[in-house]
Amino acid sequence: MRIRTALVAVGVLLMGYAAVGALADPGLKPAGVLLFLAGMLAGHDIVWMAGLLAAGAAIARFVPDRHRSVTRAAAVSVAAITFVALPLVLGFGRPPDNPSVLPLPYGRNFAVVLLLVAGTTLLTCLSADRRRRSAAGRKKSERPGGSGPRPAGR
Amino acid sequence: MVRHPRPPVNSRTTVLRRLARWWLMPLPAPPAALRRGPMRPNAFASGLRSTRLTSQLGVALGATFAVCFLTGLLSHLIQHPPGWLWWPARPVGLYRFTQGLHVATGLATVPLLGAKLWSVYPRLFTWPPIRSIAHAAERASVGVLVAAALFQVVGGVLNISRWYAPMPFFFTAGHYWVAWLAVGALLVHVGVQLPVVRSALSRAVPEPPQGRLSRRGMLGGVAAAAGLITLTTVGQTLRPLSGLAVLAPRRPDVGPQGLPVNKTANSAGVSALALDPSYRLAVVGRAGHTDLDLAALHAFEQHTVELPIACVEGWSATGRWTGVRLRDLVALVGADPDRAAVLIESLEATGRYRTSTVAPAHVRDPLTLIALRLGSEPLHLDHGYPARLIAPNRPGVLQTKWVARITVRESS
Repeated sequence: MRIRTALVAVGVLLMGYAAVGALADPGLKPAGVLLFLAGMLAGHDIVWMAGLLAAGAAIARFVPDRHRSVTRAAAVSVAAITFVALPLVLGFGRPPDNPSVLPLPYGRNFAVVLLLVAGTTLLTCLSADRRRRSAAGRKKSERPGGSGPRPAGR
Repeated sequence: MVRHPRPPVNSRTTVLRRLARWWLMPLPAPPAALRRGPMRPNAFASGLRSTRLTSQLGVALGATFAVCFLTGLLSHLIQHPPGWLWWPARPVGLYRFTQGLHVATGLATVPLLGAKLWSVYPRLFTWPPIRSIAHAAERASVGVLVAAALFQVVGGVLNISRWYAPMPFFFTAGHYWVAWLAVGALLVHVGVQLPVVRSALSRAVPEPPQGRLSRRGMLGGVAAAAGLITLTTVGQTLRPLSGLAVLAPRRPDVGPQGLPVNKTANSAGVSALALDPSYRLAVVGRAGHTDLDLAALHAFEQHTVELPIACVEGWSATGRWTGVRLRDLVALVGADPDRAAVLIESLEATGRYRTSTVAPAHVRDPLTLIALRLGSEPLHLDHGYPARLIAPNRPGVLQTKWVARITVRESS
């Protein structure tokens, strides 16, 4: 309990230090910081999460049950890489007189990374299908009266 | 004589007890008719969410936030050194490592933070929304933590993409103060949730039925996403991986003379002054004042060093610089190069980085140069022609370009 109280107390002190420091910093616009903080909460909890839940629902609706877990895991990568790549693809930060900033064709590169993720996911699903089919085939041949070999192991 | 039957009501313990009762007193529940939409019972169907998953993601997130906070604080202290800070000139690439780590860890945090917030999203619609004043305070602190964490990660991604328009404040100062806010809110959160996390991590939970994404599968997906982001960006500072850095905002070999540029001469407004044949570098010390033209600078013994430019934005690139040792210029005005600190001023008329102070550890280092050449050519205008500072183990913003004046101050 003492550790928890200390953590909360130090945390509250640091939050206070941040607030006082931000208000006293002449180079900062605290109102702008507050606006961006609020924008982050609203943007994430309303817009981003709505998109994420819709994507999850689409996976549940259109992807066969047996491939859903792999697709969901791949969707995590797609969402994260989209978030990182979007400002680069849009390129609003590229200054006209400095070609060393954002020097790459990010739209094409982003598409290639997405294709790689999609390709890997597809291959994983196909190999899982093949494994499942061959396992089903083995089971069939192991039926009582069948002539298949006995399974190895214990 | 009348005796008081009870102790005085304003005694310390009574006040504290009343305060605790008020703090924890249950508040009236809102009408059940308001419990709609995402606040309905079982509105979120995914069986993947669990306290154990959230706790594991939280522990990983705590580690990445700690790395980012410490490396970021270090970078801030180097740029705004307090009296007690001693920052060495060696190892040459220490800042390159710490700031590269700061940005790489921040980028790898993206899927971790996303998954963590996804895992606790239903708690946003918990019912009743507020059970007591204490519950309201805890929820408010979680709100601050979520906003501050998103602020840091989103702001960082926008910063390395140089897209400042969505941020209505000065990025560097905002990123610094909100880092304290995030760490404070994180400590409060850990303090509140510690028993829940301990219990969740010590007890295994059953994995979902076959075919559903398991907790381990989800953690694997998050790790794969972090790995993919790292692989496609870290080449901006880790040269062997630069070929894979297809989503890095910089390439270490792209720019004039094969080196990236942060601020061009045009945007700094120094092109005309830098190209003016009457350019002189003023060296000022207690014992005298010397103006050196380019020929005079070239007449000094020239030294060649390999040093990185390590940007606060996380990219870095090594250059082969040739020029005059700063310690030789310090000696020129009669100061002791082993004890002197130096103020370097640029031709820039304004700007946050038009001056920088070089501490004695860097002044005395033989690798610290006023560089005149990069590779085999005179400095490109955007790299600081006619002369720039290049010193080991310093942030790029402190490697002042277009140097106009060097003021030597001897420290005791």
